[in-house]
Amino acid sequence: MDNNNLVEKLAVQVESFQEGFEILSKSLTFIEMVKSFLHIIRGNFIITEIYSFHKLASDSKWNNISLKKIPDQSYLSCLVDSDNPSIKYFEDLQIKVSINLPLADKSYLGILIGPKFDKSKFTDLDKITLQILLQVFDSAFKSFLNRQKEKALVFELNEKVLHLNNLIDTGIEISRYNKRRVLYDIALERITSLTNASSALIEIVKKSQGIVKKYITFPTGVEPDKILNSKLKIHSSFEHQDRSYTFVLSEKETRHSTTSFTELDQMLLDSISRQVSVSLENEYLHKQALEKEKIEQELNVAASIQQKILPESLPEIKGYDLAGINIPSREVGGDYYDCFDLSKGKFALIIADVAGKGIGAALLVSTLNAALNSYLQFDIPLTEMAERLNKLIYKSSPSDKYITFFIAVLDSISGELDIVNAGHNPIFLLRKDGNMEKLDAGGVGLGMLDFGLPFEGQKIVMNSGDKLFLYTDGIPEAMNDKEEEYSDEEMINFLKTNSEKSSIDFIDSLVKSVKDFAGSAQQSDDITALMLKRN
Amino acid sequence: MSTEFNLVSELHDKSLVIKTEGYINSAGGEKIVHEFSKHSDINKLILNLENSKVVNSIGISHLIEIIEKLNQSNGKLVFTNLDPTIEKTFSIMGLFQFADKADTVESALKG
Repeated sequence: MDNNNLVEKLAVQVESFQEGFEILSKSLTFIEMVKSFLHIIRGNFIITEIYSFHKLASDSKWNNISLKKIPDQSYLSCLVDSDNPSIKYFEDLQIKVSINLPLADKSYLGILIGPKFDKSKFTDLDKITLQILLQVFDSAFKSFLNRQKEKALVFELNEKVLHLNNLIDTGIEISRYNKRRVLYDIALERITSLTNASSALIEIVKKSQGIVKKYITFPTGVEPDKILNSKLKIHSSFEHQDRSYTFVLSEKETRHSTTSFTELDQMLLDSISRQVSVSLENEYLHKQALEKEKIEQELNVAASIQQKILPESLPEIKGYDLAGINIPSREVGGDYYDCFDLSKGKFALIIADVAGKGIGAALLVSTLNAALNSYLQFDIPLTEMAERLNKLIYKSSPSDKYITFFIAVLDSISGELDIVNAGHNPIFLLRKDGNMEKLDAGGVGLGMLDFGLPFEGQKIVMNSGDKLFLYTDGIPEAMNDKEEEYSDEEMINFLKTNSEKSSIDFIDSLVKSVKDFAGSAQQSDDITALMLKRN
Repeated sequence: MSTEFNLVSELHDKSLVIKTEGYINSAGGEKIVHEFSKHSDINKLILNLENSKVVNSIGISHLIEIIEKLNQSNGKLVFTNLDPTIEKTFSIMGLFQFADKADTVESALKG
């Protein structure tokens, strides 16, 4: 065939070459591409017998990737092992053409072509056509590889965006849940998905006991040992309160098997682990804050109850100088004092201290105040009143709450004091001559016991110049920064050396003395005092 | 969610509905591909992921493979009952450029 004829015929075939390239380019897989290529060759040369082979490297074995088996193993000897592309033609063999095509990914494609249907030889045109078709295949394969790389790059990029997005979303979602089981499940699901792990678990150990409290796995139902015994695993741990938490991921998946986790996977795991740790800490702090708020609310209520009960002012007692003070501590302490006008010149001076703090203590003081208001209307002997109060307080309060109580009913005309001290600090009567008497007759604190034990009363007369000093233990037990107490001795000494002052001046300077002693130390208990002087 | 990935399928004319349960990882993805491959003459695959709340990128790569095969024959993959997290994942990975989503299997069958 002369060259012009050849060129003319090839020109006609250009469109079919282009078509061939398009068909090959649309292939999604290498095998599909080879299959399409064999169809093209079959169609171009009317071939019935055609086989394809592939090897990954020049020294690898050829793999038959044809749809059918080769009928004769001797065909394989026609395959060319070479690093260079080659087309060999055979006249005497069943196989007429052997192609060796090195590909762009360093693998090799081998093709064996049988005789044409009409048994004719391969012409020059056929040979050139075949050459061109191989080049078309090579180009299409390069394009296929580029597309695969591009797809892989896009996939990888999207995966990175997904990682970032998931990390942020997971952080937000984890912080939302205060139910721990939900928190753990979400963290496990997310980290497993992010890192392509097959499975994951959280191991929770109680530190003090060294015992594993529990395992939580994803997917649920996976045996923890399967994950812990895996050779391909990573972990991340943190501690919170008295527990240690360990995240373990196992068996990172690929399309075809499993592989080791990467540094990025470790970073992602550490990040999720930290987020869970922060979430647990936030949950703990939130509970603390709620508890604190509840306590503060309680104390506010208690403080307002207490303030309503304490007297705004004390009655004037003719012939006497009376003053009192209550300085509550930061925490409501349940101190109580009052002076009731019982008419006919009689007055009841009361001081009390409730054991315990908060609403419970404040309510108990309120109960005491209400009961006193009631009982003092009647002329009941103090000892009997104390017994009734004891029963009432005992019934009204839990076992750890009781009231130390001192009552002195003053007959302002005679100066007689009718006294009961129920478990309170000894009260001091400082005589004009400087003699100090302790008034502590009575019984146990109100509400402490209900064995029907009688309370003991005492009667004593207050003369002109005598001073009756009532106080709660917030004064002698006031502490400074060195944890030293103000002490009973100091208080008694102060009483002796300052008793000539007016009652209000005495109270004010006593408070100043206590505060100067305490310095910057926080006041831990109420400071309550009453001073009664007979003029 | 159990350890094992499971699926059930139903053929509606030329639409195949596959409902999955469990973690769509490599094994899960392969099972979906295998089930899909058993039916050569469908032009719509409806994947109901109601009971699958977690998928990893290997699982996604299998789904992409199915999408490409369907697109070649002018077919379509429709995801239904998607968990919001999975929906966001698919969106970021670009699956919705070549696949659809619907709220329910019924609406996917009608569409």
